[in-house]
Order: sequence, then structure tokens, then C-alpha cells
Amino acid sequence: MSMTESSAFIERAMALCRVAKDEQLPVSQSRVIDVFRALKSIDWLNEDDFRLALRTNLAGSREDELRFDRVFHSYWRNLATQQENFKPWRHELVRGEKQYGEERAHEDLLTEQEHFGAQDVQRTLNLSARWDPTAPPLEQVIRELAKRLATRPSRRHKQSRVGRKIDLRRSVRRNVGNGMDMLELMRSKAKVRKTRFVLLADVSGSMDAFNPFLLQLMLGLQRALRNSRTLVFSTQVSEITMQLRRGSVKRTLEDVSAIVKHWSGGTDIGSALGRLNRGILAEGSAGSTVAIIISDGYDNGRTEQIEIEMRAMRRRVRAVVWINPMYGASTFMVRAAGMKAALPFVDHFLPAFNAKSLTSLVQELARI
Amino acid sequence: MASNQTNKIFDSIDSVHAAFAEENYITDRALALTLKLAADLEKPILLEGEAGVGKTEVAKVLASVLDTPLIRLQCYEGLDANTTLYEWNYARQILHIRMAEQDSDKRATLEQTIFSDEFLLNRPLLEAIRHPGPEAAVLLIDEVDRADEEFEAFLLEVLSEFQITVPEIGTFSAIKRPRVILTSNRTRELNDALKRRCLYLWIDYPTPEKELEIITARIPGIQASLAKSITEVMRQLREVDFYKRPGIAEALDWSQALLGLGANTLTPELMQDTAGVILKYHDDIERLREIGADTFLNPQP
Repeated sequence: MSMTESSAFIERAMALCRVAKDEQLPVSQSRVIDVFRALKSIDWLNEDDFRLALRTNLAGSREDELRFDRVFHSYWRNLATQQENFKPWRHELVRGEKQYGEERAHEDLLTEQEHFGAQDVQRTLNLSARWDPTAPPLEQVIRELAKRLATRPSRRHKQSRVGRKIDLRRSVRRNVGNGMDMLELMRSKAKVRKTRFVLLADVSGSMDAFNPFLLQLMLGLQRALRNSRTLVFSTQVSEITMQLRRGSVKRTLEDVSAIVKHWSGGTDIGSALGRLNRGILAEGSAGSTVAIIISDGYDNGRTEQIEIEMRAMRRRVRAVVWINPMYGASTFMVRAAGMKAALPFVDHFLPAFNAKSLTSLVQELARI
Repeated sequence: MASNQTNKIFDSIDSVHAAFAEENYITDRALALTLKLAADLEKPILLEGEAGVGKTEVAKVLASVLDTPLIRLQCYEGLDANTTLYEWNYARQILHIRMAEQDSDKRATLEQTIFSDEFLLNRPLLEAIRHPGPEAAVLLIDEVDRADEEFEAFLLEVLSEFQITVPEIGTFSAIKRPRVILTSNRTRELNDALKRRCLYLWIDYPTPEKELEIITARIPGIQASLAKSITEVMRQLREVDFYKRPGIAEALDWSQALLGLGANTLTPELMQDTAGVILKYHDDIERLREIGADTFLNPQP
């Protein structure tokens, strides 16, 4: 490769890194430096090696890997980014759509189309229109929850200068040098009990009226509780944790709109719970997880499946909290079949539709 | 000598693939390339993937390929820095103090003596950093997502500097930078700063062809037709919505079990009887019974 060709190649690689950054990949200066260090180690004329070397440096998750592959194909082959038959990056939770091996992954990425159920709404979603900037902020209530969760004592202890409990083992070790005269006592205090929240929110058509509140709640919880994860479902499930974590409200709403194509669609609660059970709740440490389901319980799927999956979920997590926005209404009765099937496995059935009702929810969550 | 051998292993992507194949671990190009880059750039690798796809095995095989110790740090909730760095052997220290009390000469230098290397117990991170070589140790930090975020932050510091300070003795810098492999099952997202320091790779279920290669390499003596049937059934099983889909580990266990039972062909009865080897939840075994094992053995075109 001549000098001119090399510098053109480097420029294109740099431009690719910039495009990757625009596509929300975690591209930083140090990662770009590592990319070029990595290119020294490989045959960069081999397209696959070149792609893999860039990807391993620029990706931080499976989703990033898939997104990078899409960016790479779009950029390097001059394909349109929004090519219609391009399979967008998929969420790890959706395990039925996993690819096998590198080659198949590419094949899938380039050829498969996203499939929607008959009840799904195929139109451009604009969540900004559903965001109510005049609504009373939930931040204070959510911050209160975060504060309570951050101060709950666990049974485990950690070392502390001001702890009340004397740590005998560490005190002995500390005073070995003093000929075992206990001149200095070491202390410990209770650790903070860790609770992870997994929020599964129903975004089907019947929940549209609650969208402003729902969006505020999801955004607030995800930003205040970094350990939590947020998923939305109708007839499909999408994880939106990363989208909720970064950027301004406007940017977040745009990002969520871009990836959740099934918003305002039909409802299949059983399948959504199944995905959760087989996805992140199957990955371990579910014992410290509290599952929060936000749904009105109206369902087009199989009621028996809801029962099966709720039973499975109850066995896995510390507690199941079901928030029904309809619950607050004076005429509310559990009529929805989905709700009836789920109720026996729910630990806390709560209303939440505005900032006031959220206060009681916060109190319950802080007690779990 | 060892260093020359290492250079040869990481000479090219193909040589990495070949070295791993010699240890019966079949890598795909992405993994071989990541291992080569990790060696060249001296960066840790973060491996994510479903349970049972061979993440931990990568570290074990790497250690074996390089003929160097594998130092494993299994993470869990509540794991703290003390458990992973060092401890003082205080039982020995106390004994030493008692003995020194009889000897006035020793009493003067007692503190210096009991806080010396002789009384230091190396825990995994310090052990990896102090490993004298000739080849750097392989440090496996397994299931890092199970540890607390505070530990992750601490790990970040260790992985940046590769040095650990023991206040009573001084700072230990890595003689040979350990080759670090972190694995995660994604029970939670890891800190961006930690990810930034690592090369990232998602390990997926293998293709049936690759799985066949793995089974024949790892289970010598298995009939080719049986191994092929196993990979075909595994492929189909992974398409069913089980609570825990079988990984490569289960495929190998199943192959071993069938070989032990003297089976030459897979039958629905045999599959049902040995379902506990591949499926780990009662609900999943029931599901298999409902679907019928013969569905997997005689798939409809």
C-alpha cells in the first residue's frame, strides 16, 4: 500500500470511528488510539479482521457489537444507513433471535427484516408529543426512594472508622504488632442492602393515556437507580436501559422512539414475562431483584401463560410489584383476565398514576 | 524460551487458533483475533455470553497454551479488596511474637519482622502481579458482574497500574503484566470506565459445524454420526424457549454421558432419560416431555 493509499485508509478509519460515535457507540480518544494500535497487529487489508479489530475496541456490549456491524456495513460499503431491509441491532433479552457464529450474524444483519404482529402499529413514533413538560416533577419522590434504598442496612458488615460494632478479627490483626495489647480497636458498620429493580412497562395502546406519567417514571427511576434495568413491552419486548441513562430528555425520547417500534401495539403479557424470565432474570443474582410490572392487565395473549410465567418469576425474584394505573379510580375492579391470572403471584399491588400516588409506591418499595 | 514460544503463539490469528486447537478449544476468528490483540496491546479482555458457552474455558486454555499458572478470582456479592489482594498470616505472627518474647534481641526488630514478606499471604490479584514468570500469569476474574460496584472501581485502579501497595512493605509492580480475562453473565451493566480498559467480545452459541468440531475434539471415541445427531438436537433445543438453554458445556456433558451409556444412536427414550444432563430446570424437562423428544430427532422439513 502506498503512502497516499495508507493515509486515505487511515482517514476513512477515523471517519468510521466518528460515525460510530454519532451512532452512540462508546468511542473515546483512548479507544481510537487503541484502534490504531490494534491495526498495527493485523492484516488490515482483510476486511473481516479490520472490522473485528475495530469492533473489539469500540464495543462495550453485545448491542454495541451489533450496532457497530451495522455502521461498518453502512459506511464501508456505502450503503444507506437506514436501509429498509437492514435488521437493526437486537436486544440481548430477545434470546430467540440470537445469531449463530460470525458469518451467520452478518447474514442475519443484512437480510432479515423486523417482523411485527398484526396488532402492531407500524408508524413513526414521536414520544416527544407524549411527554408533558408541565407535569409536576417526580424527581423529588424518586430521589426520596433512592435515598431510602441507599441507607438500608444489610446483615453484612464492612470496615468503618466510626462504626458501632468492634471487629474483633481485624482488631487482633491490627494489634499483633503491639504484642497483642489491644491499643487500637477496629470497627465495622452494616453495609447497604443492595436491591436491583427491573421495570417492565406496558406500552400497548390501552396504556397510551398514561404515557406522560410512565415516561417520567421510567426516566426518573433509571437515572436515580443506576443498578436498575428498564424494559417496555406490547407484543414484543425491548430493553431501553441505556437509552434512558444518557443525554437530555429530548435525546432520550428520540432514542427510545427509534428503537421501540411496537409502542401502542397489542399486548402479550405472558410472552413479555417469559422473555424476562428467560432473559435477565435467568442470568443470576435474581434473588436481590425486585420486578416491577406496570400494566393495566388488558391482554390479547394466553391467560394460562401469564399464570405460568408469573409463578416462575415469583420463584426467582425477591418480590413482584404490580403497578396498575387504573387502580386509583373509585370504580376500579379487577376485571382484566390477565390481571386476575397474575394477582395470586404479586407481592404488592399498587396504584401509581401521578406524583401523589407515587409517594405510597416509594414507601412500599423502600420496605422491600 | 517461554517468551519466544509466546511470540510464536501470538504471531498471527491463525497461530492463536492453532495453539488453542491443540488444547481442543476451537476458536472462531473473532476470539482468536481478540486474544492476539490482547497480547499485543497488553489489554484485558471482557468476555460476555450465555452461561455454558465457554467463557471461563478461554482463560483455562490460554494458561495451558502458555504453560503458565491460571489465577482465578471468583467474584460474588460482598467481595472486597482485602480478600482479593493480601492478608497477613496473623496466626504465624502471634506465634512469632510469643517466641520473640523469650529473646530480647528479636524483640527489638519484632515489628519489622512480622510485617515482612514471610508473613504475607498473597491473594489472587497480588499473586498475579507478583508472579515472577518467565511467562506472565493468566488472571481470570470470573463473573465480575456479581461483585459490587465498589469492587469494580477498585479493580479499575489495579488494571490501570498493575501495582499494589502494601503499606507495611511497599509497592509491588507487576514483574510481567498478567494476561487478564474478565467474564460477565450480564446480571448488570458494568461500569463504562472498566469496559473502556478492556477489549470486548460476546461469545455466542456455536454453529452446529463448530459444535461438532468441539465435541469430536473433546470427546475422543464418540461416533461421528452420534456427535452429528447431538449437535443437530442441540441446535433445535436452543430454539425452544427454555428457562435455561443448553450451552456447549451441556453438549459435552451429554456426549460424555451417552458415550458412557454405550449409545450409538439417539432415541427418544434415551433423550428423555438423559434430559437432566442438558436441561437444568424441572419446568424445562416437563416442557421437553410435552413437546416430545421425537420432535427433535425427526424434525419436520
